[in-house]
Amino acid sequence: MGAHSSPIHESENRGGDKTSLADLAAALQGRFVDDISPNPVKDGFALSYLLMQPSSLPTVCSFLFWDRGCPLGGIIAEEQSDQWQLHYVFLLPASGWIEILLSLPLSATTVPSVVAEVHAADWHEREIEDLFGIQFEKHPRLGDFVLHDQIWHEGIDPMRKSFSADQPQLERRVDPDWQPTLVVSDPGSFAMPVGPVYEGGIGESLHFLLETVGEDVVRAIPRLFYNYRAVEKIAEGKTVTEVLLLAERFSATSAFAHSLAFCQAVEDVCSVEVPERARLLRVVLCELERQRHHAGAIAAICTSTALAVPAAHAAIIEEELLRASCVFAGHRYLFGLNRPGGLSRDFDVSDCESLLLAVDNAEKQLRILDRRLHFSSSFLDRLEDVGVVTGENARDLNLVGPIGRASGQYCDLRKACPYTGYEQLAFEVPCETEGDGYARLRVLFAEATQSAKLMHEAIGALETGPVRVPCEEGCPGAALGWTEAPRGAALHWVRLDEKGLVERYRAMTPSFNNWLGFHVAAENFAFQDFPIILATWGLSATECDR
Amino acid sequence: MASLSGIWLVLIFATCAAGILLSALFGRRRAPLVVAIVGVLASVFIVLASATVLINGQSYSVSLWMLDGFGQFTLRVDALSSVFLAVAGIVYFSISLFVRNFLKDRRAVDYPAHRFGILYFALMASVVLILVASDAPLFLISWECMSILCFLLINYDVQEQSDKMAGYIMLAMSEAGFLAVVIAFLILGRNAADLSFAALAASAGTLSPGALWGAFLLGFFGFGVKAGLVPVNFWLPRSYTAAPPVFIPVFAGITLNLGFYGILRLNGDLMHASYGAGVLALIVGSITAIVGILYATTDSDMKTMLAHSSIENAGIIVAGLGAFFIFRAWGEWVGAALALAAALYHMVNHSIYKTLLFQGTAYVEAATGTRDMNRLGGLSHLLPGLSAIFLVGCLAISAVPPFNGFVSEWMTLQVMLRSAVLPSTSIKIVFALCGAILALTAALAVTCFVKAYAMNFLGIRRGAWEPQLQARAGTRFPLVFLAVICLLLGILPTYILPVLNRTVEPLAGASITTAVVQPFFTATPDNGQLPPAFLHEFHNIGAQSGRGLLPGRGLVVMLRGLEANPVIFAGSPFYSFVALVILVVLAWFVVTRLTRRRAVARRPLWAGGIPRLLPQMSYTATGFSNPVRVIFQAIFQPNITEDTRQTVAVHFRTAIHRQREETHIVDRIFLEPVGAAVRSVANFLAGMHHGRLNAYVTYVLAFLLLILFLYRGT
Amino acid sequence: MSFWFWHGLRYGIRSTRYPAAMESAPGVSPGRPINTDFSSLEEAQLAAASCPVGAIIAHGHSTFVDPGKCIHCQRCQLSASPMHWDSGYEWTRRPAKPGEAEMLPAPFAKSLHIMVVDAGDCGACLHEVKQLNNPFYNMHRLGFFFTATPRAADLLLVVGPVSENMRGPLLKTWEAMPTTRRVMAVGSCAINGGVFGKSFMCAGGVSSVLPVDLEVPGNPPPPLAVLHGLLVATRRQPLKKVESITEGRP
Repeated sequence: MGAHSSPIHESENRGGDKTSLADLAAALQGRFVDDISPNPVKDGFALSYLLMQPSSLPTVCSFLFWDRGCPLGGIIAEEQSDQWQLHYVFLLPASGWIEILLSLPLSATTVPSVVAEVHAADWHEREIEDLFGIQFEKHPRLGDFVLHDQIWHEGIDPMRKSFSADQPQLERRVDPDWQPTLVVSDPGSFAMPVGPVYEGGIGESLHFLLETVGEDVVRAIPRLFYNYRAVEKIAEGKTVTEVLLLAERFSATSAFAHSLAFCQAVEDVCSVEVPERARLLRVVLCELERQRHHAGAIAAICTSTALAVPAAHAAIIEEELLRASCVFAGHRYLFGLNRPGGLSRDFDVSDCESLLLAVDNAEKQLRILDRRLHFSSSFLDRLEDVGVVTGENARDLNLVGPIGRASGQYCDLRKACPYTGYEQLAFEVPCETEGDGYARLRVLFAEATQSAKLMHEAIGALETGPVRVPCEEGCPGAALGWTEAPRGAALHWVRLDEKGLVERYRAMTPSFNNWLGFHVAAENFAFQDFPIILATWGLSATECDR
Repeated sequence: MASLSGIWLVLIFATCAAGILLSALFGRRRAPLVVAIVGVLASVFIVLASATVLINGQSYSVSLWMLDGFGQFTLRVDALSSVFLAVAGIVYFSISLFVRNFLKDRRAVDYPAHRFGILYFALMASVVLILVASDAPLFLISWECMSILCFLLINYDVQEQSDKMAGYIMLAMSEAGFLAVVIAFLILGRNAADLSFAALAASAGTLSPGALWGAFLLGFFGFGVKAGLVPVNFWLPRSYTAAPPVFIPVFAGITLNLGFYGILRLNGDLMHASYGAGVLALIVGSITAIVGILYATTDSDMKTMLAHSSIENAGIIVAGLGAFFIFRAWGEWVGAALALAAALYHMVNHSIYKTLLFQGTAYVEAATGTRDMNRLGGLSHLLPGLSAIFLVGCLAISAVPPFNGFVSEWMTLQVMLRSAVLPSTSIKIVFALCGAILALTAALAVTCFVKAYAMNFLGIRRGAWEPQLQARAGTRFPLVFLAVICLLLGILPTYILPVLNRTVEPLAGASITTAVVQPFFTATPDNGQLPPAFLHEFHNIGAQSGRGLLPGRGLVVMLRGLEANPVIFAGSPFYSFVALVILVVLAWFVVTRLTRRRAVARRPLWAGGIPRLLPQMSYTATGFSNPVRVIFQAIFQPNITEDTRQTVAVHFRTAIHRQREETHIVDRIFLEPVGAAVRSVANFLAGMHHGRLNAYVTYVLAFLLLILFLYRGT
Repeated sequence: MSFWFWHGLRYGIRSTRYPAAMESAPGVSPGRPINTDFSSLEEAQLAAASCPVGAIIAHGHSTFVDPGKCIHCQRCQLSASPMHWDSGYEWTRRPAKPGEAEMLPAPFAKSLHIMVVDAGDCGACLHEVKQLNNPFYNMHRLGFFFTATPRAADLLLVVGPVSENMRGPLLKTWEAMPTTRRVMAVGSCAINGGVFGKSFMCAGGVSSVLPVDLEVPGNPPPPLAVLHGLLVATRRQPLKKVESITEGRP
């Protein structure tokens, strides 16, 4: 690699047609006149359509995903008192969120699968099948997802209302006849198990079966959900405060982003207008978290290639940012800051100034590190053309965050669907097209720079005012909250009942979206590259597992 | 002239004849016992027949009848034959017992053991005849008998078509080799009085270099068929895989050596191979070695792997022989003695450990029903005794001290280094390259046998087989006997080398005993054999501490160099072994004393926390050797086709099936072009067969006219 | 590429002097509430009510904090009657029913091998434990090492509330360790389930699954708190006495 390539600056509306919501509405109604009808109950979406014919679900979703370029946000399954409701969430970039709603009677057990057209829905459907028991017709690979078949019986369906979360410990067993579904059938092939107690050092619990004939990985099968704590189930029937704690703490390395998405959802349900000062401070805290997360990801990449000095340097930067977060906000990981209606505390000018000093120092250090790493040829050898995800795969599997942006899949919620003050701030979203490990590293460095810039801008634009408005409990409704977490698009959807308790809480995390695409990166590379691909992928298993 | 020693030869043939009769008489159920008893007797007689020569150094001969046109048939046991006879005797001893134990352990009631017995003893007789024949017709007749008997022994119990094909390929190649050998002998005998070896040797002295080259090439590649040299060895893996388990130890331990005997007899004894011939032998040997071990390392069928390993060892031996020819042609007698000793020692070692490994493989296959290393594993729990013995075989063949492979491989590599004494630079480069190739094969051999031992005996069971033999199977006398000999040959080289010297000295012109085995411990400064300065130095550093106490032979192998560097290497395998044993015992003692109060807990395997480590999650033999396959891809040139089945889209692949086809490099480079050329010539000639009478009449007319024209003068 | 050598030298030694001296750099610890005396009953009740996980108990005019439950949400600090906070980090304590009576014997003092298992952790505790390898805390200078295999481990450090899917692997890890072993539960989730509590999918703390010898409360405990825990485990530092709820009650 020769010159240090600068990130591509994209215009704001790439990733979809330049149609507005009205155009899309017209197109949908024109094309699927018999299949859908507009749903007056918005449920927190810009456009909401009720599907009349379940069988047309695949074609409608395919139209939205492929023809209109709307990335899939996720699928929300809800068990209401008299029906099932499945919400298929899509994003129309620069406009808003679209929902296709499918209602089924409670006795129904099957739903047509959209996975043939929209591959990104694969894991969403598998999760719903495992947790709710709804079968998706023609999905080629249901089962053994959240509840591992080797340990759990069939038919438990914990997310159904009939299952109580406080049940005493269930019968545990190890199925003696269980065999993993292996794909490679070579005479000498075998499936090397990695994890769940990951032996490469300290790591999150995840399990891989690397099918191989000896040198390269032919098929990498990830088995996640070792950290599954059933957050969505525990949240049912709890107060907003308690669920806020859950939303914040199920994935602490992007705690602020998740808690922000949840608060925004609640604020939307209660129709509360967050004060301007709080919105800008929320930007500052989001970007602080992003910069710190990226420093940690860079340290992890350097550690995986065993380049000790930059790994130590990046770790120093991350620790300094953690300490700066602690000094500024009272907690190293920014816990306890978001409340529905604003922030829990205010920050004065001296706080902001010392934060900016720390941020600038971190930014300077990251610049130096970036330049130095660019000249480390043995390091680049391990990253370039390794773990490649092509643009089509990224589009196909709906990869989000820095991973998607390194493969040309530009979609940043801060630009595509601005929230909490981003619409007034000027910044760039870096994008690369090679899709290899080095591209992902470059995106991380560029985004960290943009974060520093955003923090300066946001603090510069601060005006005096309140940081919180009261958000009364007891307003029923449902809404979607979203943020661009450090790893990608995080969506939280919440439905509150009349008493203000959480009836259904759904968290669709960026790691859940992106782990689906990991096998594309890991396949056809050697065993030695596997930990490096894992590090450049930089995802969190616990964020996926919830 | 029949001397008293000739009685052994008579006894050998009498016992073989008795064996044939008794096997036929006793039928299939008692035949294994016959094979055991009579075979043991015959092998003892064979060893005794060779012992006289090896110990006394006196060869003897027995004259048989006289045939018109062929001359006097004589049997002669001289130094060269004796070493091969001794090895054959030891191996036959072990195999005769093995056959009976193996068939009994396998409880094979319907096995056609009587047929096997007849052919076995006939083969034994023909092998002895080959080794003791001292005239060409007897040699050639017994060679042909041996080839045919080998073919019959492969095919007498064969089930599958491919195995039958393997037997026919072997027969065809044997015949081609035989033809070449016959022509070689005829070239040599152009000026000979009769066809005895002595006359042929005399005649060879009068031939032109061109004729000598012709004889060498024909003889080298003719015998090379049996010895397993590239490019005429493509029958070997196929036949070894097809051979029944009771026969294959004979194949690997005895008939392979006949090829070396033939090369050595023709080029060492009957004619003195020229320097160029030696270079050819060296290069062919090295290439054979590397090709053999590459295919052995990447194979996952045990028998085929051992077959390729035999090819590798044959290459090492022939490389040693080539070095011998080169040193002798340059007049470096000590170097020649070293090279010949290395080659012969390696031949002996190879017979012992290869027989051991093949016997072990036969037991493994009988115990599990499969030879596929990808599906074996965990046998050390089921068959602990066999596991230990197989480990000894693997260590021996990997040239790990204190076993025998170490000594002979070390000596071969030292011979390669000794090329420094030769004057020509180009020959030194050739030696350096061949030495590097042999070092690489040694390293690959370690990989290969680590894989062989670990994939079969260690780890968890990978296939769905049930053990079919008792735990004590495979630990019986024949295998233990061979394992002990492996150890003895490794720790007592200073006693073996003087025995080999009987063979080496006449052929090489220098004594290996004086070159390598010095009476080190008892040597005094005025001993003429070792330079006094050197002795003083060694005495001062205490290396002669055992003087007066330890055996006079010294048990020290010492390689002497030139004046500037008098001793290249001095070491004692025996004392190292003794020191090793003492250290191990001491360590065991210390450890058990120190940990007496600690309880050792045995816990389940740690596999990252998964509930169970399934067989498909453990490393396979193919996976282990894959790096070798990838690195040497240019040699293997595999043709990989991948068949992916998927549903819905590329994202959901449900099955990936990879087919890997490769043609052996020898087949690719030699067999297929030759076969294609022959076929094209045949097709061209077939064009002549119209079937029309007129054409044939024309051919006859044309041929008549040609003859009339040629003989117009007379 | 030799510039990395000079690059590293340029940045000098950053290691903290702890345990030789207390580390007082700002931001090393979020701190936690301590038992506070209020002037009125109502204030004490208000302070106790502000805690969403019930870590503060009001008794008369005083409030007592159960450190094992505190999740550093800072509501008590921002409430109408704020609790006092300290900014220390030596928080290690022994559980009520420890697995072994004694800490690790003397041979392990300067050379401890630690096996870290993530049993459903949110990522914060694991991240803080990972920070122990960075130049600031540099635990290698104290003789602490992370191992990759439990066969060579002396201390099992568990983070997370033990999700059901990780229960089996965690037990297997513990069983695979040689018998001079101790278990350290790091984080409030590992002590009592944290915000996830006890459910069909969460065991509610490591003590439901394994015998725990040391607990390091916090959500997450900062790296220095974990370091203190390791030093206590090797008997190089004493446990800090914390006035507990049961002690203060008359």
